[in-house]
Amino acid sequence: MKKMEENIKQMTTLRAENINYKEELKRKTSKPLIWIGIVSIIMFFGGLTSAVIVSQGGGGFLAIEMPFSFTISTVIIVLSSVAFQFGLISVKKGNYLAAKLSITLTLILGLLFIVTQYMGWTFLHDNGYYAAGKDSTQESSFLYLLTGLHVVHLIGGLFSLLFVLVKTMKNKYSLENITGMQVSIIYWHFLGALWIYLFLFLRFIIA
Amino acid sequence: MSTHQHHTKDFLFTYVFSTDHKMISKQFLITGFLMGFIGLIMSTLFRLQLGWPGESFEIVELLMGSWQENGVMNPDKYLALVTMHGTIMVFFLLTAGLSGTFSNLLIPLQIGARDMASGFLNMLSYWFFFVSSVIMLISLFVEGGSASAGWTIYPPLSALPQAIPGSGAGMTLWLIAMSIFIVSSLIGSLNYIVTVFNLRTKGMSMTRLPLTIWAFLLTAVLGVLSFPVLLSAALLLVFDRSFGTSFYLSDIYIGGQVLDHSGGSPILFEHLFWFLGHPEVYIVLLPALGITSEIISTMSRKPIFGYRAMIGSMMAIAFLSFIVWGHHMFLTGMNPFLGSVFTFTTLLIAIPSAVKVFNYLTTLWKGNIVFTPATLFSVGLVSTFISGGVTGLVLGNSALDINVHDTYFVIGHFHIVMGLSAIFGMFAGVYHWFPKLFGRMMNNKLGNVHFWFTIVCSYGVFFPMHFLGFAGVPRRYYTFSEFPMFEEMISINEFISIFAIIAMLAQLVFFFNFVYSALRGPKAPMNPWRANSLEWTTPVEHFHGNWYGEIPTVYRWPYDYSKVDSNGDYLYGEDFIPQTTPLGENEKDGGEH
Repeated sequence: MKKMEENIKQMTTLRAENINYKEELKRKTSKPLIWIGIVSIIMFFGGLTSAVIVSQGGGGFLAIEMPFSFTISTVIIVLSSVAFQFGLISVKKGNYLAAKLSITLTLILGLLFIVTQYMGWTFLHDNGYYAAGKDSTQESSFLYLLTGLHVVHLIGGLFSLLFVLVKTMKNKYSLENITGMQVSIIYWHFLGALWIYLFLFLRFIIA
Repeated sequence: MSTHQHHTKDFLFTYVFSTDHKMISKQFLITGFLMGFIGLIMSTLFRLQLGWPGESFEIVELLMGSWQENGVMNPDKYLALVTMHGTIMVFFLLTAGLSGTFSNLLIPLQIGARDMASGFLNMLSYWFFFVSSVIMLISLFVEGGSASAGWTIYPPLSALPQAIPGSGAGMTLWLIAMSIFIVSSLIGSLNYIVTVFNLRTKGMSMTRLPLTIWAFLLTAVLGVLSFPVLLSAALLLVFDRSFGTSFYLSDIYIGGQVLDHSGGSPILFEHLFWFLGHPEVYIVLLPALGITSEIISTMSRKPIFGYRAMIGSMMAIAFLSFIVWGHHMFLTGMNPFLGSVFTFTTLLIAIPSAVKVFNYLTTLWKGNIVFTPATLFSVGLVSTFISGGVTGLVLGNSALDINVHDTYFVIGHFHIVMGLSAIFGMFAGVYHWFPKLFGRMMNNKLGNVHFWFTIVCSYGVFFPMHFLGFAGVPRRYYTFSEFPMFEEMISINEFISIFAIIAMLAQLVFFFNFVYSALRGPKAPMNPWRANSLEWTTPVEHFHGNWYGEIPTVYRWPYDYSKVDSNGDYLYGEDFIPQTTPLGENEKDGGEH
């Protein structure tokens, strides 16, 4: 009985220490988690782009005219990364107004990116390059698939951006408490880099 | 909130939506074993057909209904059973069941952490696995039956819903279930890696980690790198099946009708599939190797021989597993030069594997071996790892592989080296860590019975398959009674089937022992095997957080067994020195050199 009481006492101290434990845990593990997650996404796109190369080796691809709006997408996503980074620096300097503005700008640029992607798909479709179906070719299917899957990952990024924006609006971030924002920014930069890779890959391999 | 509600909530978060790694480990274990049991029953059913083709087993009809009309297995269902047996055993039992159970149980306990990096992701990983298991089982009951294209689901059989009955809804559900499974596996692996790298207790350097942790870490790395590629393969397959793309299909006719697909190649699928598929072999095997390293050292009361060599060879195996996938595809019209490259990389794996076997044997050599069921199964793994590995040299060599490709030789090889080794490792792990999982001891006598029946019957099942393979008997055939050249082989198949049935019955002994001991077994002491690693410093009862008060500090590697001083007496008076004992004067840490 005494042992049990002792245990319960110890358990309570454990709980008190738990709050600190959770914060420390988050600080220690959030960034590694997102990095390794990124590695698995790289392998996913790596698998798909090597599938393109293997397929191309099978019979050769016909050139597809790349929509100009994909070039605009590239400019937009680079700008959005710059804006997000500026937001992080602003928070670190304590300039909350600049942070709020630049993160809002990042979100708008992210949405614009999707719009330009959509414009690209419309252009492809109107020029007779279909995603699937009787008249589609492997190269056009791959083109839609790779860009589409990138947008799917980007939508995930937009949700995290929205979360960061809400927290910034409430002035929740500070120099000491900024892990969440850093995680989101790592992912966002990765999405930019992934797009540039896909853009160049599609430009030189398919188109 | 009323007390009743409070209790329900407690129950729900303790046993169902738990974020405690120990509970999640038990959830993985039990779900994995249930799936494994279903896979086992499936194999017994198709062994009945192979051993006694066309003979009626009316009693089975009670269980199988129209799958077994008049007691004879329906040929379509034979293919479905073979496919589901492979899928369930490889992914559900030996990937999620093995890695999920022991990575979850041992990573936090052995590195000295309160829990995983993210308890929530860990819970999510289990529930994705659970949902995926349920969908996979539901696929047995849809029209046309479950997927039937083999566990490797090669297109076009898997890509055209009209190809065979199992290519319809069953295949769709297979793909859905596997996609969810991959997500589960990825989330789990993420967690394992981050936990090992970031949450080790004070003093727990990488060279003081038990080999189990090294094995789980490398397994998780393999998972993160290879499962996304399978996901991409599955995704392209879904597009081909449902949206009319042609990634894997070209110029196909069905029933005289030309299909619209053109330009694709099924070989592309094989490349993507085996880029996962080969590392998958080691995802299955490495945890078993880690578990047995730990058990063999503890039970022979000797430090593991070549600790660093063990880590190095596991790393080498993990690395090589990514550049050997072509050896599954020697017959796809591959350029012979490329074939020889894959042969070279494949045969290289023999080197680290041999290092591991050598180290196992030298660890056992002259040890004070304690014969528990866990020890027996670990030694059983060493045996199957050798006898299955040797036939790998035949299959890895493109010139030899061509002769036995897709025959029973392959079935014999991979069941011994991957299936048996991994399941022996899993059994060893369950017997060894049962006290940690359930706070009770398993019955050793029943364990020994289980081991001897299992190993004798396993060899009885898989060894003769090599002879079938040499005779050219192809895998996945429903019956061989129509081929005069295979008539002599029917008696071998009967022999195999008898052993398969006995092996299946022997597993019932294990299940009884497992359930009975979990409920009524004798209470376990804190450190029943007198082992060094950290998990045995935690209290027997489970609670979230693992250690009361501070997490212990680690001062030495986990393999200080039978360490003696200059007079030949045991240091500290015992034949084991827990990792929490500070190093004495002039004492060296075993992991450092």
